[in-house]
Amino acid sequence: MNPSQGPSLKLRRTIALSATLVVIAVFWGIAEWEAARLGRPAFFTGFTLLSGLVILMLLGVRRRLPFWPLGSVSTWTQIHLYVGLFTTAIYVVHVPVLIAGGMLESFLSIVFLMVTASGFYGIYASRTLPKRLTAVEGQHRFDRIDWVRHQIAAAAEKACQQISEASAKQVLQTFYQQALSPFFVSRPSVAYVIAPNGNRRRQLLGDLKELDRYLEDEGRRVAGQLAALVRRRDDLDYQFALQLRLRCWVVFHSLLSLVLLAAALVHMLVVLQYIG
Amino acid sequence: MESAETIPVQRPSRWDEPLDASMTDADVAWLRTRGPFNQMDQSAFPKATPLTGILRHDCRLRRVEPGEVIVREGDYGNSAFLVITGNVRVLVDSLTETQLGRQPTRSIGWGEALTRFLRRSPHPETRTPEQVSLNAAGGGHQSIRRVDDHPAIFLQDIDGVLRRHESVSLGPGELFGEVAAMYRSPRTATVIAETEAALVEIRWQGLRILRRDRRFADTLEQHYRRHWLPVHLREIPLLRYLPEENMQRVIQATELRSYGRMEWNADYRKTRQLHPAEQIASEPLVVDQGQLPTELIVVRSGFGRMCVRHGAAHRTVAYLGKGHLFGIDEIAFNAMRPESMSALLYQHSLHAVGFLDALAIPIEVFATEVLPHIRKSELPESAQALQRSFTEKRKDRRRHRSDQRSEPAASFSHDPSQDVRHPTGVSFESTSLLEFVVQHRLNNGRDAMVIDLHRCTRCDDCVKACGDVHDGNPRFVRQGAVHDRLQFVQACMHCSDPVCMIGCPTGAIARDQNTGVVSIHDSICVGCGVCAAACPYENIAMAEVVDRKGRPFVDQASGRAIRKATKCDQCSGLPSGPACVAACPHDALVRIDLSESPPLSHWLEKRG
Repeated sequence: MNPSQGPSLKLRRTIALSATLVVIAVFWGIAEWEAARLGRPAFFTGFTLLSGLVILMLLGVRRRLPFWPLGSVSTWTQIHLYVGLFTTAIYVVHVPVLIAGGMLESFLSIVFLMVTASGFYGIYASRTLPKRLTAVEGQHRFDRIDWVRHQIAAAAEKACQQISEASAKQVLQTFYQQALSPFFVSRPSVAYVIAPNGNRRRQLLGDLKELDRYLEDEGRRVAGQLAALVRRRDDLDYQFALQLRLRCWVVFHSLLSLVLLAAALVHMLVVLQYIG
Repeated sequence: MESAETIPVQRPSRWDEPLDASMTDADVAWLRTRGPFNQMDQSAFPKATPLTGILRHDCRLRRVEPGEVIVREGDYGNSAFLVITGNVRVLVDSLTETQLGRQPTRSIGWGEALTRFLRRSPHPETRTPEQVSLNAAGGGHQSIRRVDDHPAIFLQDIDGVLRRHESVSLGPGELFGEVAAMYRSPRTATVIAETEAALVEIRWQGLRILRRDRRFADTLEQHYRRHWLPVHLREIPLLRYLPEENMQRVIQATELRSYGRMEWNADYRKTRQLHPAEQIASEPLVVDQGQLPTELIVVRSGFGRMCVRHGAAHRTVAYLGKGHLFGIDEIAFNAMRPESMSALLYQHSLHAVGFLDALAIPIEVFATEVLPHIRKSELPESAQALQRSFTEKRKDRRRHRSDQRSEPAASFSHDPSQDVRHPTGVSFESTSLLEFVVQHRLNNGRDAMVIDLHRCTRCDDCVKACGDVHDGNPRFVRQGAVHDRLQFVQACMHCSDPVCMIGCPTGAIARDQNTGVVSIHDSICVGCGVCAAACPYENIAMAEVVDRKGRPFVDQASGRAIRKATKCDQCSGLPSGPACVAACPHDALVRIDLSESPPLSHWLEKRG
C-alpha cells in the first residue's frame, strides 16, 4: 500500500478509542444485565478477560513470524493497545476490589496491575523517549555503544598524550588522570542509567573551564577537544540509558505477561474445579 | 613577506585511467585501418584528444565467442560496441531470465517460508552449490566461462534460441549499445555473438568525442532521431494527444542536450560534504533565471535542481527527475498572453545534479505544435489563470454589450516564489529537507528506507526481521544520514539511476522489469565487487559464502574464497513483502519513493 494513503494518525486514534469505549460499554452492560438476572457475571467477564489476555499475547507471536503476511506489527500493536485498554476495564468490572483476597487471587491481581501499569508506561515511553533520543547529537546503535565508548576514551587519551607544552601537559594530564580517565574508561553508573542527568557533564565541563587560566594556546585547544569528548560521551551514555530502558521495559512487560497468562489459567482451573 | 609554500603535484589528465591499459600502438594502428575509423577526419579532433588517443584510452578490444552474451536487455551500461570482425545477433524478442542465467523471482508459499525460517543456518551467508555457481548445476555445460580476461555468460542451445526468437544480424562496421551508453537508459535488447567476433568497446566519453567527426556524428544522430527520439518524446505525458504530423515536426525540431558527468557517483562522497551554496555553484548550469524562455526543457534522465536567487545565494525550490518539465509555466504564459502584457522570463535556474540529459523543444514549435493539444486541466496554473481571465472578459462583454464598455480585466500577477508543481518538479514544504535530499542525492531512491526517529524506539525489530527472512543475514543496519526527525537508512534504494548495474560483467545485478527491484542473481555473480564499489550510498556489501556446515566455498582454480554481492532485495518472493516495514511496531519505518515529493510529504503530514 502507498504509505501516504489512509487516514491520519489522529483520526485513526479517535476512531479506535471510540470503538473501544463502545465495546467496553456493551460488555459492562452485558455484565450488569447478567447480575440483574442473578446470573454469574464473573464467568462472563472472567472468560472475556482470559480471551483478552490471549489476544494480547498474540502480538509476541506475530513479531516472531516476520515471513508471513499477517498484517504489520504496528497494526497488531495498535490492536494490542486497545485490547489492553478494554481488558483493564473488564478487569475492573470483574473484580470486587482492585487487589483481591486469597493467595492466588492477590498474586494474580498484583501481576495484572503490574502488567497494566507497565503497559501504560510503555505507551508513554514509546511516545516520549524516541523524541528525547532524537534530540541528542548522534544516533548510536545499541550494539555499537561499547565500541563508540572505547573510541571516545582512546581519542581522549591520545589528545592528552599529544600535548607538547610542559605546563599544559602537567595541568591537563593530572586532570585527565584524576577526573577524566575514570569518566571515559568506566561505564555509566546504575544511578545514571536509571535517571540520566547532566550533573557529571556540567561538573566536568566546569572543571575543564576552570583550568583555562593555567593554560596557554595549545593547552586551551586540547581542553576544548576534551570538553567536546566529554559532551560526546555524555550524549552516548544518555542514548545508552534510554535505549536500555526501552529494551528492559519490553523484556519486563513480556515476561510478566507470560506469568500473568499462566496465573490466569491456574485461576480458571481452580474456579472451574470449585464451581462444580 | 613570507613566500607562499607550494606543493608540486602532477596535474590530473583526461586519460589517467584508460579503459584498457593493455591497448598497444599496434592495436590502435590496426583499428585505424578498419571502418569507420579509417574514414574519420583526424583534423576534426582537438589536439588534446586526438583520434588515436581516443582509440588508445577510451576503447578496448574484445574477443567474443559464439553464444556469448554481450549485452542483456534491461542492463545499464556506459559503453557502446562496434563490430570489427564476425557477426553478432540482436534479439528482438526478450529472453527469459533463466536463459540469461538469472533465477526468476519465485513466489514462496507460507509453508516454504516457515520451513526456511525454521531451518536457518547458524552460519552467516550460507549458500547451496547451485546458488554459488551456475556451472555447478550445468551438467557439463559451462554457462559462465572466462574469455581472455573477462568472465562471460553463454547462452545454452544457441541455435534453438535463434530459431525461436526473432533476431537481427550485425556485421563489421555496425555499432550497438550507443543509446544506453550515451543517454543512461536500460539496454533495449540482448545481443549475443553469432560467430567468434572482434568488437571494440567504446566508453561514452570517447563516443562523445568521436562525434566530432561529421560523418560519424550524422550517422549517430540520424539513428537516434529515427529510432529513439520518437520513443523518448512519446514517453512525455503532455504529448500523448499530439497528432502524428505534429509529433514529426516536434521530432525534427527537438535537440538532445547533456550536462554534467555521468559518473556522478565517483564524486558523490566529496560533493555531499560541500556546503549547499558551493554545491550549487559547482553544478553545471542548464538554464539561468531571468533569461527569456526559448525552449521547453524535458528531463530525459538524470537529475536537475531548480533554484531561485535568494539574497546572495540560490535557494533550491524543487528537484527534477525523468519526465519533469522546466519552463512550461513561462512558455505557456508567454504563448497565451495578450500583446499588451510583457513576456515572462525564466523564474528559476536549472542546474544539473550529477548529470542531466534533457530534450529541448523550441518555444515556436511548442506553441504551434504542442500547446493546442494540451488539455486545459494540464496547463500550468499561470496559463489557466490567464485563460480564465479571457473567458471572464468575454462573458462580461456579452453581459454589458449595451454599455459598449467593459471594465478592465484584472491583470495577471505571477508569484515567482511560488513552488512549481509536479510535473514541473518536486518540492517539499521544508526547504532544508529539500536541500538535504538533493545534497545526499536521495532523490535517486525509488524505494528508500526512511525512519521517523520521533516514533522509532530503536528496538531493531526491523533488522531482526530482515535477518530472519534472509537466513540470519540482515541486509541493512539501522544507520544513515539524519535530517531533523528523519533517518535515511543505508539500505538499497532501488535507484532511478542504478549506477551499481553499470559494469557488472555477467549481468548478475539486474532490475526486475515489473517491480523495479534491483537484486543480485547469486549463481552468476562472480564476486568482482564492481557493483559494491559503484554504489555511492555504500548499500552493497561483499560477503564470503559458506555452506550450511560453515565450510567456505573456494574457487577450484585459484583456491580463493568465493565472494558474492549482498544487498536488500525487498524480500522478493516472500508472501509478507518487505519484512522490515511489516516488523516495525510503531509505524516508524517506511519504504518510500523519494524521486517524487508527495509520498514523503503526505507521510509526514499524516504524522503531524
